[in-house]
Amino acid sequence: MPEESYSEEMKINPDKPVNVDNYRKLVRSYLDLHLYTSALFWADKVVSLSDGEPEDVYWLAQCMFLLKQYHRAAFLLKNKGLHKTHLVCRYLAAKCLLEAKEYNEALELLSCDERESNYSSGSSGITESINSLLDQADNTIKGFPVPSLHSAVLYLKGCVYEALDNRSLASECYKQALKRDVFCFNAFQSLVQHQMLTAWEENDLISSLPITEQCKSKDDEWLVRSVYESLLKKYHSVPPRSVVQTHPRLKGNLDLRVAEAERHYYACNYTECFRITQEILEEDPYHTTCLPIHIAGLVELKKTNALFYLAHDLVDIRPDLAVSWFAVGCYYFLKGKTDPARRYLGKATSLDRLFGPAWLAYGHSFAIENEHDQAMAAYFKASQLMKGCHLPLLYIGLECGLTNNNRLAEKFFSQAQTIAPDDPFVLHEMGVTAFQNTDYNEALKYFEQALERVRQINEPLIADKWEALFNNLGHTCRKLRRFDKALEYHQQALVLSPQNGSTLSAIGFVQALMGNLEKSAESFHKALGIRRDDVFSTSMLTIVLEHLVGESPPYTGEDAPGVDCPSLLEMKPEIPDAQILINRTPPRIADEMDMTDSFQDENNS
Amino acid sequence: METSVILNLEEVKADLLKGIYQCSVRGLMHSTKWLSELNHCLSHIKVNSYLPREPIVDLEEYDSYLLAKSYFDLKEYDRCAFYIENCKSSCAKFLNMYAKYFSLERKKIDNLNELFAGPDPKLVSELQRLCTELRADYLRGNLDAFCLYLYGVVLKRLDLLDEARQVLSESVTLEPLHWGAWLELVNLITDRAKLRSLSLPDHWMKHFFLAHAYLEQQMNDEALDIYNELQNAGFNGSSYLLAQKAIVFHNKREVTEAIATFRKLRKMDPYNLDNMDTLSNLLYVKEMRVELAYLAQEVSEIDKYRIETCCVIGNYYSLRSDHHKAVLYFQRALRLNPQYLAAWTLMGHEYMEMKNTNAAIQSYRQAIEVNRRDYRAWYGLGQTYEILKMPSYSLYYYKQAQNLRPNDSRMLVALGETYEKLEKVQEALKCFYKARSVGDVEGSAILKLAKLFDKLSNPDQAASAFSEFVNENDTNSGMENKSELSQAYKYLANFHLKKNQLELAYTFAQKCLNYEETKEEGKALLRTIAQKRGLDEDDKEMQFEESSSAPATPKYSNISPRNLNLCYYNMSVNENQSD
Repeated sequence: MPEESYSEEMKINPDKPVNVDNYRKLVRSYLDLHLYTSALFWADKVVSLSDGEPEDVYWLAQCMFLLKQYHRAAFLLKNKGLHKTHLVCRYLAAKCLLEAKEYNEALELLSCDERESNYSSGSSGITESINSLLDQADNTIKGFPVPSLHSAVLYLKGCVYEALDNRSLASECYKQALKRDVFCFNAFQSLVQHQMLTAWEENDLISSLPITEQCKSKDDEWLVRSVYESLLKKYHSVPPRSVVQTHPRLKGNLDLRVAEAERHYYACNYTECFRITQEILEEDPYHTTCLPIHIAGLVELKKTNALFYLAHDLVDIRPDLAVSWFAVGCYYFLKGKTDPARRYLGKATSLDRLFGPAWLAYGHSFAIENEHDQAMAAYFKASQLMKGCHLPLLYIGLECGLTNNNRLAEKFFSQAQTIAPDDPFVLHEMGVTAFQNTDYNEALKYFEQALERVRQINEPLIADKWEALFNNLGHTCRKLRRFDKALEYHQQALVLSPQNGSTLSAIGFVQALMGNLEKSAESFHKALGIRRDDVFSTSMLTIVLEHLVGESPPYTGEDAPGVDCPSLLEMKPEIPDAQILINRTPPRIADEMDMTDSFQDENNS
Repeated sequence: METSVILNLEEVKADLLKGIYQCSVRGLMHSTKWLSELNHCLSHIKVNSYLPREPIVDLEEYDSYLLAKSYFDLKEYDRCAFYIENCKSSCAKFLNMYAKYFSLERKKIDNLNELFAGPDPKLVSELQRLCTELRADYLRGNLDAFCLYLYGVVLKRLDLLDEARQVLSESVTLEPLHWGAWLELVNLITDRAKLRSLSLPDHWMKHFFLAHAYLEQQMNDEALDIYNELQNAGFNGSSYLLAQKAIVFHNKREVTEAIATFRKLRKMDPYNLDNMDTLSNLLYVKEMRVELAYLAQEVSEIDKYRIETCCVIGNYYSLRSDHHKAVLYFQRALRLNPQYLAAWTLMGHEYMEMKNTNAAIQSYRQAIEVNRRDYRAWYGLGQTYEILKMPSYSLYYYKQAQNLRPNDSRMLVALGETYEKLEKVQEALKCFYKARSVGDVEGSAILKLAKLFDKLSNPDQAASAFSEFVNENDTNSGMENKSELSQAYKYLANFHLKKNQLELAYTFAQKCLNYEETKEEGKALLRTIAQKRGLDEDDKEMQFEESSSAPATPKYSNISPRNLNLCYYNMSVNENQSD
């Protein structure tokens, strides 16, 4: 019987149309089930059966793409000439070429018709060329809404430009893509994550987006806008309370919580930041945007063991992700093993060249070893990648300052300031530079500005990080001979960071200058109890004690013997160690600042 | 404190019971113990309600609290903190933070590799984090009395003493029954002015605090008054009061009295190890070897691993001049509790004996870190730097010591000697006079004074001082200052010889013969005297032989320190004018 039926089928009339639709459905369902080989097989058959319907060819190419046979798919589409008639096909072909790392070919494909219009002539040129590309008469393949497709093409072009290291054109493309389809988060993320835009540009972008036109209702509009805004430049809206209001149901949304954690991070509120990221990772252990912030939090809180475990876990599961190796590098950095740290951070940057935090950490690994030139090279690389971020510039300036190149340092700081005018870290560094230039009034101005900003950021409790700022305020006031004020600032620094040897010896010095030798001796003693080999405190203590011999009454209960002994203040020019301090203090400040800044930025991306 | 202490014992007892309950539910073991001891000596007083029935935590948190408290009692601090992390009621919140604090403290002790190592930076930063957490609550006004206490303790640990003082005094105002808070506050009062400026609640606990604070300030008599009054007011059977009184006697250097009080205490409370280290110090000073050995055996039988025990044994070995072993025991004490002041100081002394100045300095400094009012450590530091020939340093340390014990002649003498080394004669003289006027316990001030005058080539003053020294020491004919005595006699003989007061010269030269060192010189002197006498008339010899048996030197005996003081002042005025 079977033989009979078989022979009957063989007799089927070749001209009789087969029900191709069934096979098409089959292909789709296999695709949905991720059985790509089966899908490819039947898609191929469908193409033959339908005699090369463009739609079927598209799906065949799609199957090839999903099987990572990029060249084959691109060749198929081009061979059939579909990229000229169907925008979707052109998109797919270009996508394939991008995946196959044939960037120039991909670019050619995306701008093939305007070879004459020079795309390097600037952004307007691009816009035109893109528009003309998109406005071409087009045969649509069902299932793709036009605005999304257009935006996708633009996004793809942006990706190609980025792969070709042409970031300004890329960002232009992303912006266009986002404008055509405000829901295209890929484009938004590419703009935000890689720090391509400065804060102002980002704000311009948001306000220029045609959200109103593209949303169906007011509520939608508000939702989209608020979600985007809450994801924007976190250190510009640092006070965690001033977070943009979003839909109450979205409060617990992980992406928004990550943004909240990042805000806490920039406010130096590491415990809170860590608490949030930990909660997020409990819900979603491999939340990609959360991981860099979580790692940065671990570094700040010095939780080496947790970082060790996390890094191992990540490397086991996703060895292809830059963030996994970033975690490993950070672990070694935290352990003070700079060599392996550099090796793994280098691996992270080679996996994703745009991964800014890794570049910065790479720079830090040199900076803590006083390898200023190499550190600067790494920071420069980071600054090229992250045009809209002030941190690389800040670090470059810092390194310049450490190599006693104050003028250059100033230049970088003011560049950083144009990007982030209110950032207290930048203000603080500008103050340090002014201090080093012995322009104390200017320094005081900067420090006070920074302090005011810090007060705004973390009310009512100032983060411990800012101990250096208070100390520097103290140093500056001392230079300006406002000893009372100086003492007050140092004391505040001590509250933020108790048992700090350098703060104590600064207090001792101010007290000595104020002529309060008893107290001063006590402070230097305390300082030496913490840092036993501090040369400055030792020599100052000796001087103070020698003065005390003459000044204080021989025993308690005796009146002080007049004022015939010169007070230390008057004698100051003759004290060689006062001179030592003048030379010594600023590098120390910078040192502390260096420590302060380290890793404040792990999560720029 | 003019008004005597009058207590309504029934109220006090009710307070005590409440306090015991409050402290015990929070795991404040030491305060509970202290209050219970006090309560025990009021056992004859009857009160109506024995157990306060206030709810300690919200009902829904009660189960977590019970679990956490049980872990706390078993010293599983991290686990305890974990289970009441999110509790809202104040008692649970306190227990959570307290457990965290304890966990840090224990880790600090466990991680201590080397005694002199500074604090582990990681633990310090965690302590700081705890402090930040508490500060946030403090600024919001969310802390109850016990949490305030904890905040104060943490602040103190972080060396933020002014804040700590403020916070602790708030704490005792809110909850005067918590003895631990008072005790922490005592340690923060560095001088008498601070004590006076403190605003304290008007509560009967204040008396205990004040007495303790006076004791710490070396205002021993004031402390003793209050303790006596408290005993009379009804706490007669309190072992705490007895021990405190013994410490007062110890501070006043009334050694015998102190030892007797301690004996009484031991009879009353034989298994009490608190303060036994002080007793061992007393026995050490008195060199009562047998007693000390007995005490050492006794306490080590009660509990080998108590800091007090280690200290007693350390003292015992030190008395036997086995300094290595002594150091070993002090180190053991410090491993058990690095905040244990007495052991640091005593270890410093041992290192001094072993001529290890570096280790001695470190030990003394640690002692001062723990408690700035430990005058022995300051004094020890001064001595050590004296050995190291850094007089300006040792001067500073001696001054600190003297500041704490204004009327202790030993410090003053040390100060004077240091001034002498620094060639500040005026100051040196002042110090020696002052030492003399506060009652020169060791009898060395006058000798030093004499030598100094000699050095200043002021023979009259020197001679008067020497003769005074001789007068004081001749009677007891002690063995200890033999050579000084002989030198004094020699000086006086020479002096009078020069003045041609042959009778006196003869007397003193005779004295010289009694000492090995000056025998020959004495003979030589006698010969010169005889020669001189041969030149002079020579019929009074017999009379002076008589007077030699009574060495009184009528001419100078009326020179008291006060007189010396006067003439000294005239002198100094003259010198200032000449400047």
